[in-house]
Formats: sequence, structure tokens, C-alpha cells
Amino acid sequence: MENIPPKVQNQLAMLQQMQQQLQTVVSQKGQYELTIREARRAVEDLADVPEDAAVFMNVGSVMMQKSKEQVLASLNERIETLELRVKSLEKQEKALQGRFEQLSSQIRGALEGKQQPPGPA
Amino acid sequence: MDQADPREIQTLQMYLNEYGQQIELMTQQLSMIEQQRLEGTAAIETLRALQENADGAVLLPIGGGAYLRVKVLDAGHVLVNIGADVSVERATADAVGYLEDRITELEALAKKVAGSVEQLQGQATEISRRLEAAYRGARQAQAGQGGSS
Repeated sequence: MENIPPKVQNQLAMLQQMQQQLQTVVSQKGQYELTIREARRAVEDLADVPEDAAVFMNVGSVMMQKSKEQVLASLNERIETLELRVKSLEKQEKALQGRFEQLSSQIRGALEGKQQPPGPA
Repeated sequence: MDQADPREIQTLQMYLNEYGQQIELMTQQLSMIEQQRLEGTAAIETLRALQENADGAVLLPIGGGAYLRVKVLDAGHVLVNIGADVSVERATADAVGYLEDRITELEALAKKVAGSVEQLQGQATEISRRLEAAYRGARQAQAGQGGSS
């Protein structure tokens, strides 16, 4: 393997860092989506429960009795908040993916001996 | 294969590692699903036993092999966790139905995951075969070079 120019080595390090960032974003997004799915499922299950049924919510290490209405409001709020976070992470993921692909093609070009015009700063 | 490309060997090895990790992850998922299924089944058995013998004393494990003799205040109602930190009080019969539905879902999920594991194992086996062939080619090429020099 020929010596890789320092510039390309630097780009490779950046690429690796970007890949890690991308993995973190994707796994975080996955966790949020899982939580959303669980909350939605709970909302569906609560639909079959009578209005006066005893419903409890975990608050720290204790369970507190709340009205069905309160629990539904809390769950819907949680879903809304998490959906916003997922949207934000999707934007981040898209941006990172774009930068990742751009850098990859630059490195590929450099390693293949092609001279690539520098992208916009 | 006249000459094995070291890059191909490296790529195949990378794929094999990746598949190995995925298989391991899915196997862990399978055991988690199985554990949940067993817990659900145990809960159903307990609820049925309590309905048949509501007045009997129950031994409550408190850890370290120690038990307390307790009385169940209301064997007709159960608190069931429906996820997202929410639990709902249900009649015991309804709770049993709910748990049975959950077990059915878990079994379907386990089947799906097991299918994926099988598929991945098939692909991993195929890659192993190709890797073995590539290594053989590399060894033969090396032997050929050694013989000619």
C-alpha cells in the first residue's frame, strides 16, 4: 500500500468521525421511535379501558393513580415531544449522510489519482 | 481463481464479521422474547391458580430463599402493565386474555426473528465458503511463486 498523503489521511479520520456521529444519531433515533411505538400502543390499549378504571403511572419508583384522561394527555404529550426529536435527528442524519458521501467521493477521487475541484466552503 | 485479491479477502472478512454481529444481536433478541413469553405464561398460571383458590395463603418470595405467608386482598382484579410506564386495573379474566394476546404476539415475533437469523446464517455460510476459496487461491498463488523462484 503506497503512502497516503497527509491530507487524505486527515480526510479519512474525519470520515471515521462522521461515521461514528451517524451511528450515534441513527441509534438515538431508533430508541426514540421505539418509545413512540410503545406510547402509541399504550394509548390504543387505554381506548378499551372504561373511563372510571383505575389507571396508574410510574413516577420514579412509585406508582401513582391518575385518571384515564390525565394519562392519555401525558402519553400524547410524550409522543409529540419525541416526534419532534425524531424529526430533528432525521435532519441531522440527512445532513451528515450528505457530508459523508461528499467526503467519501473526494477521498476516492484522491486515492484514484483524480484531481477533484474543492467543494464550496 | 488464478490469484486471490487481498482486498477481496479483506472485504469478505469484514462482511463475515458484520453478519456474525447481527446474528449475535438477533439471538439475544430471541432469548429476550422467550424470557418475556415465559414470564407471561407464569403470570397466567398464577392468576388461574389464584382464581381457583382465592382464600388460600400465598407464599411471597422476599429474596434470599425467604418467603412471607400472605393473603391476596382481591384475586378478582389485577394491575397489568401496558407499556410506557402505564398500568391498568383489569378483571382477572380480562388480564389473562390480555396476557394471552401478548404471548401470541411474542411468538409471532420470535418466528420472524428466527427466520431472519436463519437467513443471515445462510449468507454467512456462503461468505465463509467464498473466503475459504479465496484463501486457497492465495495459498496456491504463493506456492506457485515459491516454486518458480
